[in-house]
Order: sequence, then C-alpha cells, then structure tokens
Amino acid sequence: MSPQTTPWIGAAAARVDGPVKVTGTAIYTGDVALPELAHAVLVQSTIAKGRITDMDIAAAETAPGVLAVCTSDGSLGIGRVASYYSADNGPMGDGRTPLSDAVIHHHGQHIAMVVAQTLEEAVAGAERIRTRYRHQSPLVRIEDAIPQTPPGREDIVRGDLTTGLAVADVTVEAYYETPPQHMNPMEPCTTTAHWVGDRLTVYDSTQYVSGVRDALASAFGVPPANVRVLSGFVGGGFGSKGTVWPHVLLAAAAARLVDRPVRLALTRPQMFTSCGTRPATRQRIVLGAHRDGRLTAIGHDGTSATSPGENVVESTGGLTSILYACPNVTIRQRIVRLDMQAPTFQRAPGRAPGSFALESALDELAHELRMDPVELRLRNHADADPSSGRPWSGKHLRECYRVGAERFGWDPADRTPGTRREGDVLIGTGMASATHEMDPGPAAAYAELRVDGTAVIGVASHDIGTGTYTVLGQIAADVLGLPPERIIVRLGDTDLPEAPPSIGSQTVAYVGPAIRRACEAVRDDLLAAAVADPESPLYRREIGAIEFGPRTYVAELARIGEPSVSAVGHHHPDANSRYAVHSFGAHFAEVAVDALTGTVRVRRMVGAFDVGRVINPRTARSQLLGGMTFGLAQALMEATVIDPRRGHVVEPHLAGYHLPVNADIGTLDVLFVGEPDPHISDLGARGAGEIGVVGAAAAIANAVFHATGVRVRTLPITPDRVVAGSAVGG
Amino acid sequence: MEFLRPATWEEALAVKAQHPSAVPIAGGTDVMVDLNFDRHRPDALLDLNRIHELHTWQIADDDTVRLGASVPYSKIIDALPDRLPGLALGARTVGSPQIRNRGSVGGNLGGASPAGDAHPPLLASGATVEAASVRGTRLIPIDDFYLGVKRNALEPDELIRAIHIPSATGPQQFAKVGTRNAMVIAVCSFAVALHPRARDVRTGIGSAAPTPRRASEAEAFIRAELDDTGLWTSAGELPLSTAKRFGELVARAAAPIDDVRGSAAYRRHALAVMARRTLLWTWNDHRATGRAAA
Ligand SMILES: Cc1cc2nc3c(=O)[nH]c(=O)nc-3n(C[C@H](O)[C@H](O)[C@H](O)COP(=O)(O)OP(=O)(O)OC[C@H]3O[C@@H](n4cnc5c(N)ncnc54)[C@H](O)[C@@H]3O)c2cc1C
Repeated sequence: MSPQTTPWIGAAAARVDGPVKVTGTAIYTGDVALPELAHAVLVQSTIAKGRITDMDIAAAETAPGVLAVCTSDGSLGIGRVASYYSADNGPMGDGRTPLSDAVIHHHGQHIAMVVAQTLEEAVAGAERIRTRYRHQSPLVRIEDAIPQTPPGREDIVRGDLTTGLAVADVTVEAYYETPPQHMNPMEPCTTTAHWVGDRLTVYDSTQYVSGVRDALASAFGVPPANVRVLSGFVGGGFGSKGTVWPHVLLAAAAARLVDRPVRLALTRPQMFTSCGTRPATRQRIVLGAHRDGRLTAIGHDGTSATSPGENVVESTGGLTSILYACPNVTIRQRIVRLDMQAPTFQRAPGRAPGSFALESALDELAHELRMDPVELRLRNHADADPSSGRPWSGKHLRECYRVGAERFGWDPADRTPGTRREGDVLIGTGMASATHEMDPGPAAAYAELRVDGTAVIGVASHDIGTGTYTVLGQIAADVLGLPPERIIVRLGDTDLPEAPPSIGSQTVAYVGPAIRRACEAVRDDLLAAAVADPESPLYRREIGAIEFGPRTYVAELARIGEPSVSAVGHHHPDANSRYAVHSFGAHFAEVAVDALTGTVRVRRMVGAFDVGRVINPRTARSQLLGGMTFGLAQALMEATVIDPRRGHVVEPHLAGYHLPVNADIGTLDVLFVGEPDPHISDLGARGAGEIGVVGAAAAIANAVFHATGVRVRTLPITPDRVVAGSAVGG
Repeated sequence: MEFLRPATWEEALAVKAQHPSAVPIAGGTDVMVDLNFDRHRPDALLDLNRIHELHTWQIADDDTVRLGASVPYSKIIDALPDRLPGLALGARTVGSPQIRNRGSVGGNLGGASPAGDAHPPLLASGATVEAASVRGTRLIPIDDFYLGVKRNALEPDELIRAIHIPSATGPQQFAKVGTRNAMVIAVCSFAVALHPRARDVRTGIGSAAPTPRRASEAEAFIRAELDDTGLWTSAGELPLSTAKRFGELVARAAAPIDDVRGSAAYRRHALAVMARRTLLWTWNDHRATGRAAA
C-alpha cells in the first residue's frame, strides 16, 4: 500500500533548523546554561599498556577553584553497564567501568577527573596531577597479533569455494589494507548532567538518547524514569555518539559528587581515544569466474582490530554475501586484540572497508577478463538475495548502473589503463556498486493537534545534522493536511516515545512510519469522536470522505472545548520479513593523477542510488553528497596514524587527520533511481545516508588504476603509494 | 602570563630587551595553536598588532620590496604578485582564507618551520631579514637565517622588522606537494627564481631537510649550463636532459626523513619532479617574455 502523496512528500524543503544554526542561536549541549554549572576535565593515560603505580593529586586538590579530584580507585560508585557488543547487548561502547581500577588498556584511557568552578580551573587542576606507571609494551599493529574467531560468529559458507575456483576460467586473488579512522564530528562529545535528589537530567550530544538514559539508570541504580536525556541538536556523530562512552557516566558521577550541574566536554585530541574508532582491516579476496564474467567463487577473509575486552567485528564481508549472484561463497571474519580503546561502528561500518576490497577485486577481474566493469556487474546481478533466497523488497540496481553510466558518460570501450593523458596528468575513470542493509527497529511517536491550528509531533530520535526535523515534519504534514511550518517537531528527549538510535541510516525509514501512525491515530480518533457526536457538523459523515486539515480539527477542538488532542503511534517493522531490505547504488568517478608526483584529484563523481521513496530530495541529496565526500576521504586521505611502539595517536587533531577541503571536491552528482519500496513500510523509504560512502573509495581506486595502471590496495591512496606502484618514475 | 602591547616599534624593542623570553605574536596563527596544544607556556606574550608600520611595505630605489614583518599573505597575493611572484604563489597555498588574512612572512620566519611556505621563495629571491633590537639593526641574509629545526638566527632581544626582497627580474615559480588542495602542510615544496640580469638561478627547498635550504649544486650546474650553452643570450630551448639533471641535483640537496606525511624516498622523488617542472616553466616563460620584449 502506497500513501497518497500530498505535495509535502517529495518536496525539496529547506532545513527548518537552518536559520538557528547559521545565526548561531541553536542550543547545542555545550551551550546549555545552568546556574552553578561546574566543569569536569579528564586526565588520560600517557601509556598504552600497564598499571598506574602512583598518582599524586595533592597539588590538584588544592588548586584554585577545584571542587573534586577523582582517581581510578572505583570510589565513584559507578555500576557496571553492558557493552553493545556483549551478550547482553547493552548501550555502552566499551563495557569497562571508568575510573574503576589501575589497569591501563589503551593510550588515552581516562585515569582521573578534576571538577572545578570553571573550565580553566579544572584544566589547571588536571595539569597538577602526577602519575607513575608500570609500563608494558603494547600490541598495536594488526600484523603483530594472532587472529581469532569472534565468539559466536560462524563463517558464511554457500556452496563450495574450492569447487568454484576449480571450475573458473579466470581467478583473481588480492590483499587489501584499510587504516584505522576516526569519526571526527564537528561537535566534540559533550555531556551536561544535573541531579535533583535521585532524578537526573542530562544534556548529551548523542545519537541515542534512550541508550544514554538506560546506561545512566543502571550505572547509578535509579529507575530509567528518573533519568531524562535531552539532545536537541547534535553536530554530527558518524558513530562516535551511537553508543554510550565512559565520559557520559563520569559527567553524571561528577555532578552527583559535587552536587551541582557539571559539564564535561571532550577536547578534539581526546576524541581520538574516548568515543570509538573504525578499526584497521586486512582483507583477502579471491574471485573465480567463467570467461563470460559469471562468478563461480568468491572468498572474502577479513581481519579487523578490536580492544582487549570487546569483541567488535568490522564486518567487511557482510555485503559480499548479498551483492552478487554466485554459487560458491566463503566469508571468514577474524579479529585481533590490540591495546586500543574498543572500536565501534563508523559511517557504513564493515561496508566501507569491505566494499573497497570487494569492488576493487571486481575491477581486477574485469581487467583480467578485458570486460567492461559495468557489464561484469550486470552479468552477476543478484535477482534475489543470494544469502537467503528471499526476494528484494525493492531493487533498481540495474537502473543505477544504466542511469549513472549515462549521466557520467561512461565509455565501456575505453578500459585500457594509462592511455588518456593531458600533459603530465593521467586521466582515468572507475566505478563500483553500493549497497546498504537495513536493520529494522521498532519506533513509537507522538502527535498532537492544537486548537490554534498547529500540530506537534515528537519522538526520542535525533537530528544529527541529517535533516530529521525537516523530513519528519513533511511526513506529518502529509497526513495532517497542514503545511510543515505549522508543525512543531520535537526530537532528542527521552520523555518522548522511544525510537532506535540514529545509526545505520534508519531514522526516516523506521521512525518516519511511526510518525505516520501517530498522526493517523490523532486524526482518526478526533474524526471518530466527531462522526459519532450528534452535536458535531461531521456527525455521521464517512471518515474517509472528510478532507482533513486545520480547518476541520480547529473547529472540532473549539466546539468540544479542548486545547488539543494527542495520540501515540507505533511502527513495528517485520524483523522476519519475507523480503531482504537493502538500498542500492552505483558510483562513477573520474580522477586526474599526476603521473610524476602521484597526486590524485577527483574531478567528478556521479552516484546513482535506489533508496526507495525520497521524502525530501534536498536533504537526501545532501546526505549522499556527504557520503560520497567521506568516500573520497577514505580513498585519498583519512587515516589515523598510531605510533607502533608507544601506541598513541600521532596527530590527534584536524590539522593532521585529513578530511577533504572544499578545494578537493570537484563536481558531485547525485541521481535518484527507483521508486517507493512497497515492502519496507507504507512510507516506502529506505536508508539514504551511509550508502553514499559504500563503494565510493573503490570507484576512485579503480579510476586511479585506469588512469595509471597502478593498483593501490592500501588506503589511503597517498602520492607516495601511487609513485611506489608506478613504473613511470621520474 | 603577561600580555604586553607596545604601541610603537621602539617600545616593542625596549619591551623585548626587558623580557627576552616574551613570545612575539603577529597574526598568531602559529602562536595560538602552540598555546592551545600546550606546547609552550611563555611567561609573556608580546603583541605586535598595534604597530602599524609592520603591516606596510615600501619600494626602495633599487626596486627592493621592504615588506613589513606582519603583512598578511592575502595582502601579498593582492598587492605584490608582480614584484614578488614566487612569494605570492607560495602565499596562495597557505592554509585557508582566514589563515592568509592573519598569517605573515615575519611569523613564518619567526617559527622557522622547515615546512613554512614562505621560505623557499625567500631563498630563491635572495631576501634579507631586517632584525632589530635596542642594540641596533642587522641585515641577515636569508641563507644565514635558518639554523636548525624551528631555530633561526634571531638573538633573544631581537625582533624582525621587515624582509627585504628584490623585485623579480625574471620568472619565479613555487610548487608544493600535499595530500589535499588546501589547509595542508607541505610534504615537500620547491621554489625557483630566474635572475636574468645577474644571469643567475636560485632555488629553495621546503619540508625536506631540518631547515629550508638552497640546492647549491643544482644552482651551480644550471648557471654553468646556461652560460656554457649561451642560452641566456640565445633564449633557446632548455634541453629536457638539463632540466632532469637539475631535478636530480635538487633532490640530492635534500636531507628528508620518513614521517607521517611521506617517505624520504618519495620526497626526493617529488622534489626532482617539481624542480624539473618549475625550471622548465620559468625558462619557457623567460623565453616568451624575452621574445615579447625583443
Ligand atoms: C589552520 C592553519 C593552516 C596553516 N597552513 C599553513 C601553510 O599552508 N603553510 C605555512 O607555511 N604555514 C601554515 N600555517 C602556519 C602559520 O599560519 C604560518 O607559519 C604563518 O606564517 C605564521 O604567521 P603569523 O603572523 O600568524 O605568526 P605568529 O603565530 O604570530 O608567530 C609565529 C612565530 O613567529 C614569531 N614572530 C612573529 N612575529 C615576529 C617578529 N616580528 N619578530 C620575531 N618573531 C616573530 C612568534 O613569536 C612565533 O614564534 C598554518 C596555520 C594554521 C593554524
């Protein structure tokens, strides 16, 4: 069932939060002003492994303005909260209780906290702490550790890989490496906590208000109902705010300790050791194919790094099991334990590094076969989900290839590497497939109609810069028959009905339908009462025939003397759907490579995506532009450098951790292909954020190969790697 | 921390003499970053921003530009690209518009980072640093200015007042390799300036040795080549093999290290490429303008 479409669905509405953001009046967590606000500052370990043997805090305790100094002695009384990756599937990113013991698990671990009247006094106090350690050599390189099978995780095996390779006419085998990365949202993680008796209010920059509430409730032994978490604006998350990190618990502990509201803001350098990372991966891909391009075998072995205590798996092989029709597939996922903080999901987890390897390998195969890489993918198109046999809920990947190639001007005949030259600059084109799996989560939402002709909708979801305020307003407008500017959208508050975390590109897809349900409920309740009420002008009218809008409900509310009516709606996506639910896409990239210095510039990219129904092409396009830009970052720049001996991040700041600047981005083109997904929900929208990242790096790497004949299998593709792989020299 | 704000140059020198450890602050684009990262905690800051003359420049009779120490890069790009083309090209690659509006050549010299983008063009133009103290004024040839990693020839009581840079008499070039198109610390950089009247070619290497430095052997080689083959007079084509050899010698002059931004081997390679290219560009420019003038 597809909804009737009013002009609001599909409208390219501007972001409703734009004006407050560009005028600096949006209140982020760090802007929340509370009387008597004190400030907490964290002291972090300067070794990566060992024990604290002594900590001298006397000078800190007597420093001006200092209210409290807490060490790693467990005296804060924070209860254990399960991690997201444990069997209990809790809300924490790392299950170790902060400041609970003297063991150091990673460089930058929180080892003390200073609370003071002002931020400056807290910083000055923290600097007076002297720490002694017993130091052990950390294990920090993925090569130095022994891979293990993650507990409870089985290899994915379909058919028989050996047989598949034996019948192949052509095989390709290659190793790929991707570095650790950090999310680096613009807004560093910040928490402001305030206790009144045993009631706790927390302002937090988070992608998961309900998770923060649950974590705090169990850490401090109070009922969840006593904890309210607010997160009105979030300056990006990219996964760093998707689980709860120790500093959130510490902020609340500090506020309880000093009996005042406390703010704790991580610094940019602290963001590199306090709220997760995308771990490094090592991948091996083996492909077998017939001469005509049909795949006979895919083997994908991925190894990713995790911390000593958490079993976090960067699932590089996830997309490999569904992207192509192939009878013989083996996917193995291993982890190695390094002395690092627990990694977590970051922008298309698993799929971003996994697609780099798989889609590079497909390109290597196309080259071996002397076949157009688009054609190779079409020949292996999976008409149903090959991992489960289920039909797709909606899939227009063929159109993505076709429409993208057409817009890009893809030339299937021009596939010989190193043949297009403009002076010293080599030009190349490359492409890759994209896919993103949806992870259904139940959501509830609230809707209220008011006698002044406005409406309020609310859900404990978030706008992490993605446009949620705008898009949910459009969805409500569609049902309620009033313009979005008359709808107040409330987000980021645990007092509102619960929604899943804003991760995995799922908000519009699963929270959107809950908004519809809530709006329908409040509308239908009001109409049901009206048609049954002899006093109402709507008495005995047929509900479906009533044109609903502000005029209808304002009159009804005025007549019955109610200022407002409200309802809650629920959306329970079918976890055991008959359908496999994925978004799809295709990337095309053109690069210009300096043949001699090896510098790579991406001149243009085209991404064609099938994300189901596009509620707002303007915000959806922005999401995909952002995704493609992060894909470019992954291809050419992004990498966290860890010192191999001491285990610290070498340049924990944005001067050293490179993301693209405006001047790096040529022309990016986003095309929407496809139609409303009839099976995901009656809204028909699937995820439209992270898929922009998936495959983008491979498209660029493939274009670099086409330009130069150099296959760089280690990200990022820096100038020295291009030169090292090049026979040109100079 | 004391914050000293002299209103005149003389007052600044007096303050610096009194507080030799005071850290001068011009645009602040290095100083503030250091303070923020707690790399330095000076007991005093000496703010030079009230001293107007440091933001001005004059042209001397011999066409030398006397560039005030605090003149920001954006001014150099706007007002001096004809007289100081090499420096203006380098200035264009510095940071972002905000950084170019604040950052200055005096600050670049004060910091003396091997990666500073002003240094290679200053070396190639043969600039002189005007350093002053209550004891008097010294003119330090740029070749003697850089002493070590982030160390320069200034005495503790000295301040840079101006940089004297001869106006270009021939084409100049600057090239930089970085992993992105702006806001990037050079992996390595190179500047070359032709001085047709003096029949000289000068160079500057950045980010590939403990200090910015010239490639003396490469300069001697190209000077001799141009003389021996009569190319200055004939304005003929520069053989590619000569440019290549020049590039190799530039690479040899470097003493790079492996670091997170690139390997030593890559830096040498890239320097050879940049040197060859920029030499050919400047020479071809020289031939074109020479012909136009003739
Ligand atoms: C985001 C960012 C990007 C950057 N990108 C680049 C880049 O691409 N290329 C590049 O070269 N640099 C770059 N820098 C560094 C910086 O902008 C330059 O080194 C700039 O030239 C410094 O000038 P300033 O006037 O801001 O110096 P300040 O920070 O004021 O001073 C720098 C140093 O010089 C000393 N000093 C200043 N004036 C005098 C004086 N008159 N006499 C004696 N000593 C003095 C100071 O004490 C200090 O040691 C960047 C910095 C930032 C923050």
